[in-house]
Amino acid sequence: MSREALQESLSAVMDNEADELELRRVLSAVDDSETRATWSRYQVARAAMHKELLLPQLDIAAAVSAALADEAAPVKASRGPWRSLGRLAVAASVTVAVLAGVRLYNQDEISGVQLAAQQSAQQGVAVPQVQGPAVLAGYSESSEQATGPMANGVLQGQAGWDNQRLPGYLRQHAQEAALKGTESALPYARAASLENR
Amino acid sequence: MRALPLIPLLLGGWLALPAHAADPADARIATLFNRLAQAEREQDFQGTFVYERNGIFSTHRIWHRVQDGKVIERLLQLDGLPQEVLRVDGKTQCVSGTLVAGVGNTPDSSGRLLDPLKLMSWYDIKTVGETRVAGREVDIVSLKPRDQHRYAFELHLDKDTGLPLKSLLINDKGQLLERFQFTGLNTQAVPTEQELKPSDNCKAVAQVPPQAAEALASWRSDWVPPGFELVKSYVRKDPQTKATVSSLMYDDGLARFSVFLESLDGESVTDTRAQLGPTVAVSRHLTTPKGDMMVTVVGEIPIGTAERIALSMRAQDVQTKQ
Repeated sequence: MSREALQESLSAVMDNEADELELRRVLSAVDDSETRATWSRYQVARAAMHKELLLPQLDIAAAVSAALADEAAPVKASRGPWRSLGRLAVAASVTVAVLAGVRLYNQDEISGVQLAAQQSAQQGVAVPQVQGPAVLAGYSESSEQATGPMANGVLQGQAGWDNQRLPGYLRQHAQEAALKGTESALPYARAASLENR
Repeated sequence: MRALPLIPLLLGGWLALPAHAADPADARIATLFNRLAQAEREQDFQGTFVYERNGIFSTHRIWHRVQDGKVIERLLQLDGLPQEVLRVDGKTQCVSGTLVAGVGNTPDSSGRLLDPLKLMSWYDIKTVGETRVAGREVDIVSLKPRDQHRYAFELHLDKDTGLPLKSLLINDKGQLLERFQFTGLNTQAVPTEQELKPSDNCKAVAQVPPQAAEALASWRSDWVPPGFELVKSYVRKDPQTKATVSSLMYDDGLARFSVFLESLDGESVTDTRAQLGPTVAVSRHLTTPKGDMMVTVVGEIPIGTAERIALSMRAQDVQTKQ
């Protein structure tokens, strides 16, 4: 491979205009110290042209290569099946999310158990139940989304009756509970939290 | 069909009860709960706590003083709106902000205490260890539901005073729904008159006459989860929508839910489900001899349970005619 061709390819890579062949050419030559030096010079030139010249003494690529060389190679055999399983899981959860969204949106018969199951399929970590994408699919509120009383909740169904009534009912329930008992400050805190918008 | 698996559970709960009471572990639970109740009645304290539900986090101050046998308690939100409540002996004297029309003190509203014997029928109560909260030693008490109709609680009770310093609500997947937790507690400094004095924002709470008969006469429930009892019911007129709303509130000694019934007057609406942290809201359209109604269940219960409760509401006339 001629020096010139390589330099052209280097330039193309730097300008983000390299085709696959050029990229391969550069990658295969990148271990060569002369190529690296050329690359470094090109970067300086480019930076100067863009008026962003800094001292380009940091050869991060070399440091990364050294670190990689020191690291034990991962066991390849175990990686294959897990990766494909992972992809499958992602695909499955996307399907579940889509299905769940459609089902919720259509107001099908769906029990809490099913809902919970769908959500847990999507989220492995312990986060509050209502943050799954499935429920967001059916979430319908327009401009008030960020500030409305339902902002952090889940509201399925169309805007209208329930948008007027539900916040009122939620408040009434919370306030009744807060007025009712003194066993702790918890009902008060719930009611106060509902007013925070 | 859904009730079938419940039967052994219920029987199990009832049958197990006498044995539970005799168990030394349960005696310890009873002692902890009694200390909690006693602390609320007799302990002076002030402190700061946080409340968190999904995405919402707020901080609050509490002043609690016992004076001539009367418990005076003032709560103030420290961030955002300065929301405030003043209570004397369990009766709310004033609140900041606006209350929903019809919400107020009734002559029967009073302080309610955790009754371990009642709770043991519906929750498996255990002490599960000890840790620290707000720099104080606490006992951890877990309350796991014996059926799928309520959430689990975890209470952290101060070893020194018995006060509840932390309370977590957890669903059947083990996900945290809300957190109430003290970050600082002082039991030495007695709150002063000044600290217990409400601000001008705090508006007096009206005394509301009980109207239980009216709401109860019109509606009944075919099914509520076992252990839940009606604690309050009334009818109110919404000043904005002019609609008449019947409200029923149920309680199992720890968890609560409300049922709201409202006539639709030909309005077309969709069934709705919503969840805000610990609180679920389910609206269901119901056709009754009195016309089309919307039943809304709001409470700290699982969504499936709320749905079933909503579907189980009946107009009372149906029964009297049959």
